[in-house]
Amino acid sequence: MARALGEELVPSSELQDDSSSLGSDSELSGPGPYRQADRYGFIGSSSAEAGSGHPPVDLIRQREMKWVEMTSHWEKTMARRYKKVKIQCRKGIPSSLRARCWPLLCGAQVCQKNSPGTYQELVASPGDPQWMETIGRDLHRQFPLHEMFVSPQGHGQQGLLEVLKAYTLYRPEQGYCQAQGPVAAVLLMHLPPEEAFWCLVQICEVYLPGYYGPHMEAVQLDADVFMALLRRLLPRVHKHLQQVGVGPLLYLPEWFLCLFTRSLPFPTVLRIWDTFLSEGAKVLFRVGLTLMRLALGTAEQRAACPGLLETLGALRAIPAGQLQEETFMSQVHSVALSERDLQREIRVQLAQLPKSSPGPAPQPQTRLSGAQAIFESQQLAGVRGGTKPEIPRIVVQPPEEPRPPRRKPQTRGKTFHGLLTRARGPPIEGAPRSHRGSTSFLDTRF
Amino acid sequence: MGNGTEEDYNFVFKVVLIGESGVGKTNLLSRFTRNEFSHDSRTTIGVEFSTRTVMLGTTAVKAQIWDTAGLERYRAITSAYYRGAVGALLVFDLTKHQTYTVVERWLKELYDHAEATIVVMLVGNKSDLSQAREVPTEEARLFAENNGLLFLETSALDSTNVELAFQTVLKEIFAKVSKQRQNSTQASAITLGRTQAGQEPGPGEKRACCINL
Repeated sequence: MARALGEELVPSSELQDDSSSLGSDSELSGPGPYRQADRYGFIGSSSAEAGSGHPPVDLIRQREMKWVEMTSHWEKTMARRYKKVKIQCRKGIPSSLRARCWPLLCGAQVCQKNSPGTYQELVASPGDPQWMETIGRDLHRQFPLHEMFVSPQGHGQQGLLEVLKAYTLYRPEQGYCQAQGPVAAVLLMHLPPEEAFWCLVQICEVYLPGYYGPHMEAVQLDADVFMALLRRLLPRVHKHLQQVGVGPLLYLPEWFLCLFTRSLPFPTVLRIWDTFLSEGAKVLFRVGLTLMRLALGTAEQRAACPGLLETLGALRAIPAGQLQEETFMSQVHSVALSERDLQREIRVQLAQLPKSSPGPAPQPQTRLSGAQAIFESQQLAGVRGGTKPEIPRIVVQPPEEPRPPRRKPQTRGKTFHGLLTRARGPPIEGAPRSHRGSTSFLDTRF
Repeated sequence: MGNGTEEDYNFVFKVVLIGESGVGKTNLLSRFTRNEFSHDSRTTIGVEFSTRTVMLGTTAVKAQIWDTAGLERYRAITSAYYRGAVGALLVFDLTKHQTYTVVERWLKELYDHAEATIVVMLVGNKSDLSQAREVPTEEARLFAENNGLLFLETSALDSTNVELAFQTVLKEIFAKVSKQRQNSTQASAITLGRTQAGQEPGPGEKRACCINL
């Protein structure tokens, strides 16, 4: 989505509207009277970058098979083979399966199961009029270029209204934060409203607590953390930013709050979300650091940005080719920032926060670092007497069908917390959903 | 974008757009800097900015216009946005009285974070929706007068007064800056470390105060 970059600053002659033989353009019969949507639903722009290699079809099929297998025994997979999940998320979840995988990864599926009827109640209740007005004003302003959100009566805007209203009722003390709009919209592009709602809940409460509330205190803390990481990992970039007076609050909030939906090409955004839901906030920092390096990593680039505006402009004008999903994500994954590094830096910055600052103190310890932590916490909650307490037990599985030999699962001596193993029987996962996050270009949803 | 060399302009004036969410700040920005308007411009979440160089007499002035989210909760993280601003357009929607009643609060916010000498214009936007007006012109004009603010009604949609609004603010800033320069050359004192209001340090020059946002 080259248009998302540098909209304000780059003259239109420089905007790259990358044409590509891949995707919808070549398959449509001639120019229509209206503008066509690309394979993700965006009208009037091709979101496929020049020369981008979509993986070959049989590779996609292979990955789909793996995910189907992993998700049909999700608890077993998460208990014993999380590393495989992590690797597959890094490679990218096949688009046909995001609808199935995202709610599992972020624990939304469990939330939904544990709160039957809650969403319906929220939808049926009247919203706080003040929030309703604000939400209503923003509905047509979230993804105005996406076919799903074009029409006010369409199920995109209506779904958005429903989900955002439900959240303000579910967490009245949090209310509505405008950045929840783009996040909810991307969820709705893949999921029906109830599933999207619970994913939003998980993102706001578990992945990024303190981001979307009235004080956004965690954003400030993470901004400080980001600067500290820059100083350590990209010291010359850090020095340049100091010299021109660019503080992190000038660019980081939109990046992190919106999970990069406003800043990067859409296919790359989806890849980031795959790993973010798997590995947590650490991914946001890695992406930010990668963007910094791409925009300002060389001496020439810094010299071309003598001031604040040029520097901020450079962050928004990274050539689309460098943001192509495969190249970009491989750089993201190789950023030298581990979970431990991040936690350490958070502790340091937390200690340095001025005591006098208004609003509540951020509580980074409430943040869960991804799918595995969420899984374990949900398992523990189940054991401690959630709605359906189960006694943990280990069941010896009868021999499975013969299959090609593969490596032993990497249990690394982990114990199985409350593992609900079963003899071979019905899959743990529920009935298949009727709604699929299909990205076929012909799938125009109205 | 700031591609201009030193020769292209003599001054840079940072002007911020403030006001409630939905009043039209982003469209005022795009109308002035790019002559564009969109019913569906995205909600502003981070900080947006755009520039345009205008001639004030014989002087070329680069207006650096900043725009940010109007929703209340963003104030916690956008207070740094005011730094170095020499002008402000405090925008309300003249078809929504609620956006006008909070103007005082925005003024307070502005004076808490920006220089006292900042030039402020109260802007009643959406004048094209005359049938839906909820704020009488005289009421707003009186408020502006009583508080030392400039005042105009604009329409980013049909362009009414947008040019005039920004030009007026910039002229006012320029007048102040010129007077200040006159005074300082007369006094021939070394100002303590601060660059002149509205002037950006050249390439390679360090900013006087290290900005930690």
